[in-house]
Amino acid sequence: MSAKPATNGKYAIEAHNLNVFYGDFQAVRDVNLRIEKNKITALIGPSGCGKSTVLRSFNRMNDLIPTARVHGQVRFHGKNIYDPDVDPVLVRRRIGMVFQKPNPFPKSIYENVAWGAKINGFKGDLDQLVEESLRAAALWDEVKNKLDASGYSLSGGQQQRLCIARAIAVKPDIILMDEPASALDPIATLRIEDLMIELAKNYTIIVVTHNMQQAARVSDYTAFFTVTPDRTGYLEEFGPTSELFTMPKSKVTEDYITGRFG
Amino acid sequence: MSSQSLYPEGPELEAFVKRRRRLGVVWRSLFLLATTVGVIVLMVLLLTIINDSFGYVALEYKVAPEKMVLAWFEKVMLNAPGVETFEDYDDLAAQIAARDDAVGYLSHAYYQAHADELRLAPIDGVAPDAETVANGSYLLTRPLYIYTSLEALRERGATAAFVGYYLYHVSETIEQVGYFPAPDDAIAQAQRDWREATGLTPETLAENMATSGRVAASGGAAVAPITLAMAEQMQREGFEIEVSVSEKGAAAGFEDFCLGQADVVNAGRAIAFDEEALCRSNRITPVSFQVGLDGMAVVVSRSNHFVDGFTLEELQYALSTAPRWSDVRANWPDKPLLRFIPAPESAAFEVFIDAAFGLEPASHHERVLSALLVDNLPVGVVRRLNREKPLDQRSHDELYQLVVERIIEPTIVQTWSLLESIFEKETIEAAVAQTPRARLEFRSWVNKDFLTSPQSSQPELAGIRTAILGSLWVVLITLLFSVPVGVGAAIYLEEYGSGRWLDQLIETNINNLAGVPSIIYGMLGLAVFVRALEPLTSGQVFGLVDPTTANGRTILSAGLTLGLLILPIIIINAREAIRAVPRAFREASYGLGATKWQTIWYHVLPNAIPGILTGSILAISRAFGETAPLVVVGASTAIFMDPSGPFSKFTTLPIQIYQWTARPQEAFHNLAAATIIVLLTLLLLLNAAAVILRNRHQRSY
Repeated sequence: MSAKPATNGKYAIEAHNLNVFYGDFQAVRDVNLRIEKNKITALIGPSGCGKSTVLRSFNRMNDLIPTARVHGQVRFHGKNIYDPDVDPVLVRRRIGMVFQKPNPFPKSIYENVAWGAKINGFKGDLDQLVEESLRAAALWDEVKNKLDASGYSLSGGQQQRLCIARAIAVKPDIILMDEPASALDPIATLRIEDLMIELAKNYTIIVVTHNMQQAARVSDYTAFFTVTPDRTGYLEEFGPTSELFTMPKSKVTEDYITGRFG
Repeated sequence: MSSQSLYPEGPELEAFVKRRRRLGVVWRSLFLLATTVGVIVLMVLLLTIINDSFGYVALEYKVAPEKMVLAWFEKVMLNAPGVETFEDYDDLAAQIAARDDAVGYLSHAYYQAHADELRLAPIDGVAPDAETVANGSYLLTRPLYIYTSLEALRERGATAAFVGYYLYHVSETIEQVGYFPAPDDAIAQAQRDWREATGLTPETLAENMATSGRVAASGGAAVAPITLAMAEQMQREGFEIEVSVSEKGAAAGFEDFCLGQADVVNAGRAIAFDEEALCRSNRITPVSFQVGLDGMAVVVSRSNHFVDGFTLEELQYALSTAPRWSDVRANWPDKPLLRFIPAPESAAFEVFIDAAFGLEPASHHERVLSALLVDNLPVGVVRRLNREKPLDQRSHDELYQLVVERIIEPTIVQTWSLLESIFEKETIEAAVAQTPRARLEFRSWVNKDFLTSPQSSQPELAGIRTAILGSLWVVLITLLFSVPVGVGAAIYLEEYGSGRWLDQLIETNINNLAGVPSIIYGMLGLAVFVRALEPLTSGQVFGLVDPTTANGRTILSAGLTLGLLILPIIIINAREAIRAVPRAFREASYGLGATKWQTIWYHVLPNAIPGILTGSILAISRAFGETAPLVVVGASTAIFMDPSGPFSKFTTLPIQIYQWTARPQEAFHNLAAATIIVLLTLLLLLNAAAVILRNRHQRSY
C-alpha cells in the first residue's frame, strides 16, 4: 500500500504515514490508506488495534483528548487537515460522525436534526431539511407524528438512525461510523446496515466494526488492523472486501478472519 | 485436594462465618448509635427553640385596648344630640313608646313585656327569635350569666341550693320571662361545674330544702327577671330560701360581689378583667354559669310608621351620631332623631358597642384610630405627629402601631417557655393573679407583627422586618456577584483550562479557599471593601449618600464579602455539574461542526444548569446564615430604618439572633428563638427550592 501524495478525483480521503500518540504511547503506526468516494470502507481488527483512533483522526476528533498527537498527513480535498492553518470546525463540518452509543441531544427529534443546520447557517427550509434527512435515515415514517417528542423517547435503533439523520442534515462529504450497531439488537443492526448501503449512493462511509460478518455484508473495501507486541496498532492489509475475505494476502489476516486469532 | 484443606470447613467454617457476622453487627450498632445521637441532638436543639418561641406572656397595658375603644364610643354616643340614657328598662320602654321619633334598644324580656307599645326593628332583615339567637345570626345576641363564688358554693348551703335549682330549671322557665334558653352544652357544663363545686346532685338537692337561708343577688336589670322567677318558683316548690334581688347594673353588682356583699351576680356580660382581679384580691373565686341568651331588641314606638328595620350601617349611624332620621335613610322623615338607650354602666351598653362596632382597636377605621390618638394623647404630641406626617394621611397599620405604642403601651412583665406554659399553667396563673394589672396571654413569638415591625429596643414592639430586608438585600448582592463570576470561572477551568501550571495553581487555590474559616473572609472584606474601596462601597463616588455620615459598612460591602466566601463553593459545584454533562453530547456537537463556544452554550450549560442552580442555592443558603464575617464587616447593632439599597446600613437575621441572645432580658431570648424559626424556615424553603429544581430538571440520558 504505497501512497502517493497526488489525489485524483477517485479518493475521498487519504492517510499518509499516519502516526497517533497518546502522551508517550504510540497508538497507531505508519498508516497509509486511501478511501474511495461513495464506497463503504470497513475498518476491522482486534481490540486495541487503533482502528477507532484512525477513524477519529479523520475528522480531528482526537483533538478533544488533550494528550493526543498526530504525526503524518490526512489529505482531504488535497489538503492536509492537520496543517496549522486548517480549522478543525471546517473539517468536522464536512466529515460527520456517528458514534458507537446512540447520543441524541436531550432535545426534540426535530431539534436534533435541525440544530446542526442552524449553527452552520442553513438558509433553506428547515422543515423540509428535517423531513429529507429523516427520510434518508429511514426514520421519517416512525417519527413524523411526534417530532416534538424527546430524542430519548425513541428505541436504541431509532436513536441511532436519528443520529445518522442528524449527521446527514449538514450534508457532509464523508460519514464516519464508529461501531454504529454494536449497542443494538440484530434486527436494528440489519436496518442500520441496509441504511448504510443506501447512503453510500450519496456519501462516502467509513465504518469501524467488530463484526466481521457485518464488514463482509456491507463494505466495498476492508482495512484490517492489528497490533505489534508493544500494543501499537498498524494497518496489516487493505483491499476490496471480497478479495480480503476470500484470498487474504497476509497470514495474520487469514488467521483473524478464520477465527484462529483475535 | 490441597486447595480444599487451605480453607476452613465444617464446624470451623460455621464458626468463622459467625465471627464475621458478629463483627458486622458491632459496626452496624455503632453506626446506628452515631445516627441516633445526631438525631437526638438535632431534636433537642429544635425543641429548645420551639420551647422558647411559644408560651405565656404576662403583659401590662397602660390602657386596656377594649376599655379605650369603649370609652371613645361612649363619648361619641353620649355627646350626640338627642340622646338620653336610662337605668330602668321599663322607663326606657315607656319613653320610646311615647315618641314616634325615638329609637332605642333593650333586653328582649323588656321588649316582650312592652310588646303592645313597641315595634321591633330587624337588623339586616334578621329579628331576634329562638332560632336566630341560638345560631348567633342575630347581631345583638348575648349570653346571660349568673355569677357566684366557689367559696359560697362550698360553704353556704342556701346559695348552693339556689344556684343548683336555678341551673336545673331555668331552661323550662326562661321563655316565659322573655329570653331564650342557653345552648344545651353550656347548661350541661354549668350543671357539671355546680355538681363538682358543691358535691350535690339534683336528687340530693331536696336535702337542702329545709335549709333556711338568704341569698343576696345583685347586678344588672337584664338577668334580674329570670332570677326573680326562679326564686318564686323555688319557694312554690317548698324551699325555705329567701332571695333578695337588687338591680343596680352589672358593674355595681360585681363590685358588691367582690366585696363580699352579694352571693350571686346577675350579669348580662362576662366578668371584666379588673373585676376578677378585685375578687381575687378579696379571696373570692368567681364562678360563672350561663343561664340563657338575650337577643337585645332594637325598637321604635308603635306610633312610628316609617321604620321597617335597619342595616348594620344604618344602625351604627342611628344610634351614634345621626342628627335626623333623613340622614339615616333618605326617604325617612326630616325630623330630629332621639336616642333612648341603656345607661353606660350597664352591660347592655357595652355589649351593644361590642356587637355593633367591635372592641378590638385594629378592627376600626383609620378615622376612629386617628380620633383615638387625638383623644388619648396630649395636644403637643398630636401636633408633633401631625407635623411628621398628617394623621389623616397615615395608613391603617401606621395608625394602629401608634395606638399600640403611644396609648396601650404594652410592657412584658414576664415570659414563660412552652413547657412551663403547658405543665405549670396553674402556678403561672396564680403568679399573674398577684399582679393586679397584668394579663396573661398565650403568645406565638413568631407572628405577623413580629415579621412586619421594625427593630425596637422594647421587646413587646420589636420585630425583624429590618433584619429580613437586610438579609434579602445582602443575599441579593451576594447572588449577583458570586453566581456569574463563579459559573464563569467554572466554565473556564472546566472547558478552556489546559491543565498547565497556572490553571493547576488556580484550581488548588480555589479548593483551599473553600476551607478557609469565614471570619478570615470578614477580615478580608473589612480591609478591602470597607476600608480600601470605601468611596465605592459607601456610594460616595456615585453621589448617592450624604458624605458626612457615609462609610463602607454597607450592604454592598457585606454582600461582596459573602460573595467571596461562597465563590469557591459555587465554582466547585458548577465544575462538578459541567463535568457531569456526558462526553457524548460534546462529541455529537463537535461532530456536526459546532465550535467550542456553541458546544458549551447549546449543550454543556443547558445540561449543567440544574446542577449549577442546586449548588448555587446551597451556597446562597450558607451565605444567608453567616454571622461572623458580617460582624467584622460591620453589621449594625441597632438600626431602625429599613435598608433602601446597596449603600444602606444593615443588619441581618443571624446578627439579630446573636444580638438578642446576648441581651439579659428574658423576652429578647424569646425573640431570638422566634427569629431562629424564621431563619430556619427561610433556609428550608431555599433548600426545598434546590431539591425541586434538581428533581424537575433531572434527565435520564
